[in-house]
Amino acid sequence: MNTLNSSTAPAAGEYAGDEVSAIVLDPGYSTIRAGFAGEDVPKSVCPSFYGQIEDSSQYLFGENAIHTPASNLQIKNYWGSDGIVEDWDTAAKVWEYAITSRLTGARAGDPARNGLNDDPKQENGEATDVDMETIENQEKPLEESPLLMTEPGWNPTKAREKAIEIAMEEWGTPAFYLQKTGVLAAFASGKASGIIIDVGASHTSVTPVLDGMVLKKGVQKSPLAGNFVSNQIRLGFKQSQPEIPLTPHYLVKSKTPVDAGSPAQAIYKTFSVPPTDSFRHYQEERVLTEYKESVVEIWPGPGRLSNGTNEEIAKSMPGRPFEMPDGWNQVFGVDRFRAAEGLFDASAALTDDANPRPKDEHTLPRLVQAAVQHVDADQRPLLLQNIVVTGGSTLLYKFGDRLNYEINAIYPSTRNKLIAPGPVVERKYAAWIGGSILASLGSFHQLWISRKEYEEHGANIVEKRCR
Amino acid sequence: MASGRDVRDMLGLPMGVDAQKSAVQKRAKAAAPVRRIQGVAREVAALYGERPPPVAVYEEKKAYRAKRQNQGPAKKWVQQPFVNQARVDGLILKHWRRKPTIAPPVQDGEDAPMEEGDNVEPYIENSGDFLKYSIQVDLPTFTDEEYDAYLRSDDWSREETDYLFEVVKDYSYRWAVIWDRYDYQPANKSHLTQETVNGDASQALATLPFAPPKQRTVEDLKARFYHISAKLMKLRIPEMQMDAEQYTLYETLSKFNPELEGNRKLLAAALMNRSMDEVKEEEFLLAELQRINMAANRLDAEREELRARLEHPSANQQVSAGLASFTSSQALQALFSQLFAQDRSKKRASGGATGPSRISLNTNDLIQTPSSANAQLSAAARRQSMATNQSAQTPVRTLSPQQEYRYNVSTHDRLTSGVTFGSDKLLKMRQAKSNVQTQKIAAALAELGVSEVISLPTIKVAEVFEQLIGKVGKLLDVRKVREKEEGESRVLEQMKQRRSSEVQNGDASMSNGTSVEPQAKHEVPDSQEQTPGLDGEGEADDDDNDNDGDGDAHGDGDGEVDADAEGEEDDEDAEGEEDSRVPSETLSRAASTAHKRSASVLSQGSIQSSKRARK
Repeated sequence: MNTLNSSTAPAAGEYAGDEVSAIVLDPGYSTIRAGFAGEDVPKSVCPSFYGQIEDSSQYLFGENAIHTPASNLQIKNYWGSDGIVEDWDTAAKVWEYAITSRLTGARAGDPARNGLNDDPKQENGEATDVDMETIENQEKPLEESPLLMTEPGWNPTKAREKAIEIAMEEWGTPAFYLQKTGVLAAFASGKASGIIIDVGASHTSVTPVLDGMVLKKGVQKSPLAGNFVSNQIRLGFKQSQPEIPLTPHYLVKSKTPVDAGSPAQAIYKTFSVPPTDSFRHYQEERVLTEYKESVVEIWPGPGRLSNGTNEEIAKSMPGRPFEMPDGWNQVFGVDRFRAAEGLFDASAALTDDANPRPKDEHTLPRLVQAAVQHVDADQRPLLLQNIVVTGGSTLLYKFGDRLNYEINAIYPSTRNKLIAPGPVVERKYAAWIGGSILASLGSFHQLWISRKEYEEHGANIVEKRCR
Repeated sequence: MASGRDVRDMLGLPMGVDAQKSAVQKRAKAAAPVRRIQGVAREVAALYGERPPPVAVYEEKKAYRAKRQNQGPAKKWVQQPFVNQARVDGLILKHWRRKPTIAPPVQDGEDAPMEEGDNVEPYIENSGDFLKYSIQVDLPTFTDEEYDAYLRSDDWSREETDYLFEVVKDYSYRWAVIWDRYDYQPANKSHLTQETVNGDASQALATLPFAPPKQRTVEDLKARFYHISAKLMKLRIPEMQMDAEQYTLYETLSKFNPELEGNRKLLAAALMNRSMDEVKEEEFLLAELQRINMAANRLDAEREELRARLEHPSANQQVSAGLASFTSSQALQALFSQLFAQDRSKKRASGGATGPSRISLNTNDLIQTPSSANAQLSAAARRQSMATNQSAQTPVRTLSPQQEYRYNVSTHDRLTSGVTFGSDKLLKMRQAKSNVQTQKIAAALAELGVSEVISLPTIKVAEVFEQLIGKVGKLLDVRKVREKEEGESRVLEQMKQRRSSEVQNGDASMSNGTSVEPQAKHEVPDSQEQTPGLDGEGEADDDDNDNDGDGDAHGDGDGEVDADAEGEEDDEDAEGEEDSRVPSETLSRAASTAHKRSASVLSQGSIQSSKRARK
C-alpha cells in the first residue's frame, strides 16, 4: 500500500469510508460548525451569538444580521457560564439555522411536480400539492440525513437527552449520535489516545482519551480561555496611562491618520436610538479578536514572564503596532505579553474588582497535571506522547512553545509530544473534522442511534450508546 | 517507372541474388502495409529500396495520446438505500452507488412518474461490508449455582460482580477505562436487606445497606475478575487437560497479585513524577554507564586479541615442556585470568591507573621474550597446581610418612596466595559469624583454660584447635536450644496461670479465640502494611535466635530443633503464598499460636520494629 497524500484518493477498501450524507454539528461558544461528513471543512460556520429585538420574539441569526446596528437589538448567547447549553429553545433555533442556511435547503423536488415544468394551464391543480410538500420539508429539516453532534466532556445527562430529543423530535433525523469533542479532536489528528487540550472561547478543557473513549475522571475545565484573554486586554487598556480607547467599527464614519499615541481624529456616526450595550460589547469583542490575532503574544519560556530577567528581555523585543478602527494607534511592547500570561500563571493575571485573580488550579499546566493524575499510571506516558492542541485560542502566537515548556517542566522524564496542526482551519475546527471522519466511516453505521431505537428506549438511550 | 531494380541495373550492381531478393521483397511487400509510411508517395517510398530512410519518419497516429474511449452516455449514480447487517433494528441509510446497469425498462414520459409513485419499496441493498468491524468480546459466564458454590466473596456482592462483568464487556477489557467509568451504586436497599436475611453472615457484612460504596482500584477490579475467570476456567477444563496456551493463561489469571501490581504502579508513577534534577542525574549515570561499557568492550577486545595470539605459541622445545599444560585454550584462559588478576592486584597496590596498557605490555613480554615468559609461566603453573603439574619439570622425591612428619611437609589441594602467620589462622577460628557467638566461644575457651595467645601455632596445633572449636560450637548450640525450651515452658506456664484466673469462660478454646480475635481485627484493615510482619512468623524466630547470639543456626543444621524447623517451614509457606490472604494467615496463626507464642509474645515489639527497619 502506498502512502497517502493529499492528491491521491485512497483506494476502495483502503479506508472504511461509506458516506451516508450525514451532517456533523459542532456547536461552540463562539461559533457553530456544521457540514456534511466526509468533507474536510465545515461548510457552515455561524456565530453562536444571536440577536433579539427587545420585547419581541424576533430572532436574528447569522453574521449578516447580528453585525448590523439596529435599535433595541440585544446580542445574546445560548450557552451558560458553565459550558453547558442554557437556553435550549434558542439553541435549537440557532443550530437549525446553521444547518438549513447552507446545507439543506428546500429539497429539490421531482421535476415533474415541482412546478417549474408545468403547463401554465394545469398549474392550479398541482399547486396545493407542492405547498404541502414544502411545508412538510420545512417542518423536519433533517429527514434525509443522520446527525452527529458534539458535546463537551462534562455534559450532564440532561443536556445529552435534550440534544437527542431535539434532533429526533424537532428535526426528524433518521439516526443520531453524540460524541465528545475531545475524542473527535483526537481523531482529527489521527490519534485514538491522547490528551486533548482545547482552548476555546469560553472554556479551556483538558480531556484524556484512551482508545477513543474519554476518561471521565480526568476531564478538566477552566474558564481561562479566549474570553478571559479578551477581558485581560480590556483591563490592560483601562489600566494603561493614558487609557486606551476601544471604539468598535460601527461607530466610525471616517477617520484620518494620526501619530502613534495621539488621540483619534475621526468622524463618528450618530444614532437616533443608540444600539444596546450588548451589541456594543459584541462589536468590541471583534476588535479585541483582531488585536489578539495580530498583537498578543505569549511568553514562550523558559520560565514565566515574571521570572528573573524575562520581563527585561520581553521589553527589549520589538513591539507590534495596532490601529483601532477610529485611527488611534500604538506600538505595543511588553504589554502584549501580559494579556495571555494569565492562562499559564494565575498570579500574572491583571485584576480589578470585577475580575478577581483566577485560581491557580485553572491555569493550563495545572489542568494538564490534574488530568494526567486521574489516569491509570500505566497509560500516562502513552497519553503524554499524544498531546493534541486544538481550539481557536491556541492560535495565540507562541502558545505551543510555552505549553511545551510548561509540560516538560512538569513531566521531565517522559517523552511529551505536542500535536498542534499547522493549518488554522484544522486547529479551530478539529472537533468538527474528527466528526466528519467518524461519520463517514462505514464501520460507524452500526453505532448510530436510529429513530426506532429512540422510540423504543426513549431519550435515555443516549447514555447507553454514546459513552 | 524506375524501380530499385532499374537503378541497380543502371549502376551495374550485381543481380545474381535477384531471384532470391525479389522473393524476399515480395514477402516484405506483402507485410508492407504495416510499415507503410504515410505522407510519402508510393514512388518515393519505392526509391528507398530495402534500406531505411536516412531521416526518421514518425507516424502521426502514434505520436499522440489515445483518444478517450467513449463508453456511451454518462453513468448514473443513485442514492441507494441499504441496511447494515451489523445492526439489528434495520436502520435504512442511503449512500451513493452506481445505478445498476439492468435498469428497469424505460417508460415513456407519461408513465414514468406513475410507476415511481407506486414503487414505494425500492431495492434495498443489504450491506455486510463492515460486518467484520462489529466485534463482541467473549466473557466467561457463570450460573447462579456456580456462583454460590465457588465464586462467593466477602468483599463483593453478587450484584456488584454482575455489574463488573457488564462493565468489562462494555469497555472490552480496557481496564483503564473500566476503572474510570466504574461507578457501582447498590441498586435498591430493600432488595439487599432481603438478601442479607437469606445470605450467610459474611455476605451480609459486605452488603449491609449502610456500608459506604467502596472505592475500588484497578487492581481490585482485575483481581476479582481474574479470580473468577481462573476459577471458571478450572471448572470448565480441569488443569490436567489444559493445553499449553490455556495453562499459561490460567497461570497468569490465577497468579495475579493486586498488591504487587499496585506497588508497581506506585513505582511507575514515582518514576514519572521525578524532578528535573533526578532526570538529569539519571541521564548522567546512563551516559557514564555507556562509557564504562564501552571501556569494558574495548578491554574485552584486547583480551580477545591476546587470546588469539596465545593460541599459537612459538615452537620452542624448552618452553613446550613448561607449556605442556597450556596447550588447550581453556587452560590458557585460566592462565590469562590469573595473570590479569595478578596485574590488577599489583595495580591496586600501587594505585596506578595503567590498566589496559599494563596488560598489553605483559602480552608483549610474553610473545617477544620466550625465556622470560617461560619463567613467568612456570611460576604461575607452580602456583596454580603444585601437586599435579610439577612432575613434568622437576624430579620428585617421594618421602615416607615419617619423614613428611619430621620435616613438616604437607600437601595442599589449593594454596592461598601470600604468606600468613599460623597465629592468624588460630585467631580466625575464634571468630564466629556473630559477635555474641564469638564472645561465647571466647568465654568457653577461657573456662577450659586455653590461653588467648598460643605460643607455638604449628599446623598440628591448629588442627587440634579447630576440632576443639567445633566441639565448643556444638555445645553452645545445644545450650541455646535448652534455653529456648525453658523459655517456652515458662510462657506456657504463664498462660496456664492466666487461663486459670479467667475461669468464668471455662472453655479453653473459647478464651484462645477471644484473645486472638481483637488482634486479627486490628490487623486486617491496613493489610498492605501489616502482612509482611504477620507472615514472617518463622522469621521472627530467627530474629530471636540472633538475639540469643547464634547467627548460623541454619548452617549448622545438626543443632536444629523442631520449633525452629517449623518456623522456617511456615516462613517459606507464607512467602510463597500471596500476600492478599490475610484472613487465612491470621487463622493459621491463631491455630499455631499456642506453639509459637513463646517467641512472638516475648519479642512482639522488637519483631515489628526490626521488620520495619528491614523493609
